[in-house]
Amino acid sequence: MHKVKSSSHLLTFIFFGFILFLISNRVDELRVYQGVQISMYVIGISSLILLTGYSGQVSLGHGALLAIGGYSAAVAKNIYHIPTPLTFVVAVLITALAGAILGVAAARLSGPYLAGTTLTLAIAIPSIANQFKVLGGEQGLLFDVGFPPLSLGENFTQYKWYFWIGALCALISTWFVKNILGSRYGRTWRAIRSNDVAAELSGIGIARSKILAFTISAGVAGLAGALLAMSISTVSPSAFPLALSFSLLTGAVLSGISTLGGVIIGSVILVAIPELADAVANRIGSSEAVITNLPGFMVSALLILTVLLAPNGPVEQMRAHKAHKNHKIE
Amino acid sequence: MARKNRVKLITVSAVIAVASLALSAIPAQAREIGVSATEIKFGMTVPMTGAASLGYNKIPGAVKAYFDYLNANGGVNGRNLKLIVKDDRYVPTEAVAKTNELILKDKVFALLGPLGTANVKAVAASVNPGRRGIPVLFVNTGFSGFADKKKYPTTYTAFPSYIMEAKIMGAYIKENFAGKKLGLLYQDDDFGSDALAGFKQAGIEFAVKVPYASGSQSSITAPVWITKLQAGGAEVVVLFGVTTASIFALSAAAGLKFAPQWILGSVGGDATTIKLAVGPSAAAILNGAIGASYVPATTDTDDEYVKLFSEIYAKAVPGQAFDNNVIVGMNAAFLTAQAVKAAGANPTRKSLMKAIDTQGANFASIALVPLNYSSTSRVGYNGYWFGKYSPTGDLKPVDGKYVLYTTDSGAGAIVKSTYKRPAMPAKGLPK
Repeated sequence: MHKVKSSSHLLTFIFFGFILFLISNRVDELRVYQGVQISMYVIGISSLILLTGYSGQVSLGHGALLAIGGYSAAVAKNIYHIPTPLTFVVAVLITALAGAILGVAAARLSGPYLAGTTLTLAIAIPSIANQFKVLGGEQGLLFDVGFPPLSLGENFTQYKWYFWIGALCALISTWFVKNILGSRYGRTWRAIRSNDVAAELSGIGIARSKILAFTISAGVAGLAGALLAMSISTVSPSAFPLALSFSLLTGAVLSGISTLGGVIIGSVILVAIPELADAVANRIGSSEAVITNLPGFMVSALLILTVLLAPNGPVEQMRAHKAHKNHKIE
Repeated sequence: MARKNRVKLITVSAVIAVASLALSAIPAQAREIGVSATEIKFGMTVPMTGAASLGYNKIPGAVKAYFDYLNANGGVNGRNLKLIVKDDRYVPTEAVAKTNELILKDKVFALLGPLGTANVKAVAASVNPGRRGIPVLFVNTGFSGFADKKKYPTTYTAFPSYIMEAKIMGAYIKENFAGKKLGLLYQDDDFGSDALAGFKQAGIEFAVKVPYASGSQSSITAPVWITKLQAGGAEVVVLFGVTTASIFALSAAAGLKFAPQWILGSVGGDATTIKLAVGPSAAAILNGAIGASYVPATTDTDDEYVKLFSEIYAKAVPGQAFDNNVIVGMNAAFLTAQAVKAAGANPTRKSLMKAIDTQGANFASIALVPLNYSSTSRVGYNGYWFGKYSPTGDLKPVDGKYVLYTTDSGAGAIVKSTYKRPAMPAKGLPK
């Protein structure tokens, strides 16, 4: 039964991928470029949903894991000259390893202590790069995945190439996360999140499960980091600011932290906000300081509004609403 | 139930796909991107806010001031020049995102005066205007590497390179401060490595070298730099960083009663900005310090360009001081106008670059050194004069005479310049 379900998921994802492919050939380059960012956010947010929404471990510092992924990919490419497709695999593996180590520490912490620790990491890890010449300091390292293959034609743009790579990664990773959340592990994590004492009494190894969640979540975040690095062709400390961690968290809340269904909604909103802010700022003709800070303000406002109005995210809210209605009819 | 959901998902996806296909008709391009019948759009990324913004955030206003003046006088071949500005906060990743917006959303004709070595580099790698054939005009950085036409096929430098500046400064130090213990503050990136290369060429050895990471300059870090320079016994200190680094360094030194002979690099030596940030004590701190520039002193109102530019600027942005940043901005706008004019009645990105390659060396400009553009060279200006900051804190040539030295970014010699700047075209408009 379980097998049938995951293979049908696979068909849905393949179909969805085909639609993305069709879209990428029709929209203009700006939208394609934004598509790359959306795919990065989809992966980052789903990683956070797995960790926070399912296993109940709060992370305010997911940007740090993205940084590890981005730097791993860049170092693998620049210093060890690993073929480009494999650099993404390296990013996943190394970040997962880092996640496992962090997970050991995280399993001993909970609530505000864990939040504080991850927050510190988000500030500390990107700036480590400044201490080592090999990581390129503030200027960072180049991460160039190269031009699209010539066989795709001369008019095939760089951003479309990035989008194809990004969309493929996002589809694979979402498929993977969806399946793991539906598996025994997913159920275990939910049991721990709901009531860890009860979970332990029913024979679940809490520490082990938490570490596993951290490891997998980190691996997925590493992939997002590599994609982020690809989309801007560089890794540098400034590419992974604290604001990135907060954006991911906001995206996860907007998506509905305990369900994967809305992940695309959260990602699209995150990418749309700077453009909206620009439009608003242009309309009211405001100063530079306002234009620079408006996106951050809008993200924060959205976060607060979501928590107030739809604490489980719009998708969950809709589902609950529908269930409520169905119930009434019966 | 699961089956029903799946069917629904597929239906929804199909609707989305069809809708997006229908919405995405792309209009055909008749003219070059960014050029309409009445307007040509340029895009610029600069730090308007953030740690490095002070002073540099006046550049866009200066460009716009000149463009407005030009447009009021008929524009170029009937078209107005327009500048779209984006704030990158001096952060390379922001510069990449904002440049993408300029190119993909605002659809600018060319990039004009992007600021900061690391930023221009990141944009070149990621947005890759070179491969897309988008001109990057008169970058606001003196990194020598940007003149490499192979690597940056559409980029035009303007500033004399940091290597040239360090070479000429090195020669000046040798002549005037032989035997003194030297200290150097520099930015720990390509900006600084260019400077180190230039000083090395000039045979200058520093007793104390203090690097700082871009963006780390603050009232907390600066006393640490000064303590290091002080402990190393530096008698002559070169500040080769951005303006805010100079400001923090000079303030911290005043606080720690450290008063060596200061030499300020052109990037971080704008007197107006320093005075504005440090306050009334700045003039006393700056008095007697040595600085370098390739344009006339901002106080030199006998100069026809300084006179006209300061008049235009005062009208466009009342209440703001006329300083080196303004000169740099207005001059870049003036060069751009000439390039557009030379590119023909219907300029394209290609014809614009061809115009600079073939005629750029003869463009009129405020600088006291020549432009060096040719079909093989993307080098802009190539020399400096040295002066002293006056008791009012303004950089002025010693004895009121500009003595200019030119050189190259390689092993070339330092030559006393014989260049005579041609007269300004009528009303400061492109001929």
